Amino acid sequence: MDQLVFKPPGSLPSSAGSASSDSDKDNELEVDTGSDEPFEESVTPPRTPTKTVPPKSPVKTTPGKRRSRTTSLSATKSAARVVTSGNRTIYTAGRPPWYNSQGELKEAFVIGLCGGSASGKTTVAKKIIEALDVQWVSVLSMDSFYKVLTKEQHEEAARNEYNFDHPDSFDFDLMVQTLRRLKYGKRVDVPIYNFQTHAREKEKKTLYGANVVIFEGIMTFCNKQLLELMDMKIFVDTDSDVRLARRLKRDITERGREIEGVLKQYHKFVKPAYDHYIAPTMVHADIIVPRGGENKIALNLIVTHVHNQLQQRGFMFRSKLANAQYEGQPLPSTLYVLENTSQVKGLHTFIRNKKTSRDEFIFYSKRLMRLLIEYALSMLPHKKVVVDTPQGIPYEGMKLDDSKVKKVCGVSILRAGETIEPALTEVLKDIRLGKILIQTNLDTGEPELHYVRLPKDIKDYHVILSDATVATGAAAMMAIRVLLDHDVQEENIMFLSLVMAAQGVHTVAYAFPKVKIISTAVDPDVNEDFHILPGIGNFGDRYFGTEL
Amino acid sequence: MEPDLIQNSVAHETQDDLGPNLIRMKITDQIKELQTVLRDKSTSRSDFIFHADRLIRLVVEEGLNQLPYTKCSVITPTGYPYDGLKYERGNCGVSIMRSGEAMEQGLRDCCRSIRIGKILIQSDEETHVAKVFYAKFPPDIHKRKVLLMYPIMNTREDGDGCKSSTGNTVIQAINVLREHEVKEHNIIILNLFTTPAAVRSVLQTFPEVKLLTSEVHPVAPNHFGTKYFGTD
Repeated sequence: MDQLVFKPPGSLPSSAGSASSDSDKDNELEVDTGSDEPFEESVTPPRTPTKTVPPKSPVKTTPGKRRSRTTSLSATKSAARVVTSGNRTIYTAGRPPWYNSQGELKEAFVIGLCGGSASGKTTVAKKIIEALDVQWVSVLSMDSFYKVLTKEQHEEAARNEYNFDHPDSFDFDLMVQTLRRLKYGKRVDVPIYNFQTHAREKEKKTLYGANVVIFEGIMTFCNKQLLELMDMKIFVDTDSDVRLARRLKRDITERGREIEGVLKQYHKFVKPAYDHYIAPTMVHADIIVPRGGENKIALNLIVTHVHNQLQQRGFMFRSKLANAQYEGQPLPSTLYVLENTSQVKGLHTFIRNKKTSRDEFIFYSKRLMRLLIEYALSMLPHKKVVVDTPQGIPYEGMKLDDSKVKKVCGVSILRAGETIEPALTEVLKDIRLGKILIQTNLDTGEPELHYVRLPKDIKDYHVILSDATVATGAAAMMAIRVLLDHDVQEENIMFLSLVMAAQGVHTVAYAFPKVKIISTAVDPDVNEDFHILPGIGNFGDRYFGTEL
Repeated sequence: MEPDLIQNSVAHETQDDLGPNLIRMKITDQIKELQTVLRDKSTSRSDFIFHADRLIRLVVEEGLNQLPYTKCSVITPTGYPYDGLKYERGNCGVSIMRSGEAMEQGLRDCCRSIRIGKILIQSDEETHVAKVFYAKFPPDIHKRKVLLMYPIMNTREDGDGCKSSTGNTVIQAINVLREHEVKEHNIIILNLFTTPAAVRSVLQTFPEVKLLTSEVHPVAPNHFGTKYFGTD
């Protein structure tokens, strides 16, 4: 419940505010709602609720009215992320590539954060994130992984006799699995633990796309597998008097509990747990931070180290792609090009001509897209069937092989890829459509991921991924990587495009050899501005009428 | 009947005793699926129309490939030349009522402002001789290429009993076009399903006419018009 996903405010104005409860149901990246909300203090559940304790914060415990946490950083940083160039506004706060030019993943940098209850772990996490100034940071909390209690245990908890401060009360297997997937860039569904029913909510919280993962909790160092996944281990060592004082203050003033109960709980469970399980794990730490979040020198050291690590992992991605040599290489066997009939050639002549009016450009590009879609659908596995006819003879025909193709959905790379959607819906009624927004950061020339929204359970689908044009293949690779991170099978992806540069074809095919690449034309070159030659110009600008 | 013909309608050279002016579409699995849905008697009417329109669109796109063009070079927005081609003007569509009208929208979707003429031909109840009741064409049709649209072609013996021969209907329609001085080699028939006998009968009568179809099969799906227009 305490995963914080930091997204730059302003990166996606249209979906700001969508990080409300419905984002649990979709694979949507959380987007920060803005800067007007202060950072919330972590709501740590009372480990052993007593009978006299009123329910905790209703925000957490009312099913269906849960609120996912939105956390914002200082507003000043976000302002710099919107750049204007000419009369265009460019958002430069997407996620740069998190994989190399072979399409292989760079692992996320995992910071393990351990410390006793009320030691200031959350404050440290918050300060690290602020100082890092890196987008795409996820915070995963151990609190999400409390075990579901049996009826007896539930009663124990009600009698204040269930020990929440014991390693047995956590689901370490699930924790390891989740952290591992997150580290390898996969989408994860994090359980949402309901502290009233001591069960997991039906909905899960989706986390995807972190370059840095902060994993915090009281016993994060108690498991060997977890320790192995961490790139950096930080122990927050705060004096036990200070922790008790904080806990008293928090439980009494913020949660309305009685001092007796808090003290009883502290002595019975919290303190022994710290001494037995938490304090001894301090030996695993790379850095021990005394006094928690106030310790500026320790925080600076940590941030400097993480920055160095991230820099070592990053590289200029697109320029590397553009420089890759494919001269003289035959086009890959996974490329399928629509037959170049006189009509196809004629349609290309219309849409490539710079003098073509927008009305004609739209009309003829749509015709070409329709042919492209029909061609792509013939790539799906079909099987023979025999049907009865009104003429009384059996007819041997074909139909989609439903044992191989369960569901088909479209995913378009915004903005230009969206133009293929109408042609897709004309041919496949009721098709589900996902969207991925990728923009080029003009400062670095790198593609950046800004927004992802995909059908639920996309892993079961055959995906028709489309973009209007492909030059270097950088955006196509990023989009395919996103699909793979959502567990779509590589062989179930078809990538459609109207015009591709040979280089882009090679790049995509080399990184993802099982993806079918389907196009209506392959052009020879790309210029230094990453435009296809002879090409078609900026497809999106010509289609939507936003050219300068 | 030769059931073997069904599967092998994919440009099988051995069948090409039907002449060089018969143009068969390349049959992908996808097109075969469209044909299967149209053949299947359990297909609902709305599915039938949806899939028919998709197949028609593909036949029309293929038909347009038969029209004349000239080479031309254009400049792309990046400033580079693109060697393309340009279609010549002076084409038109003619649909044979009623089922041919089902193909008009497909043509319209590809060529927005194309002129479309119509012919109504009905068979005499007793003699089965096709008679022309109505024809309206663009005035300069004799100068134009004509895409003659009719989805189903059969001959009487292949049809279901008393129904007229739709192969004869097409022959009558071409006669009307000839009366309007349309040149035989300027006529391209766009068709979805035909029988081999109908192909022979039409192309033997008019050896210069081109016939484009998606399937040559001994049994034609004669329910096309009634199911498309819902007049069971």
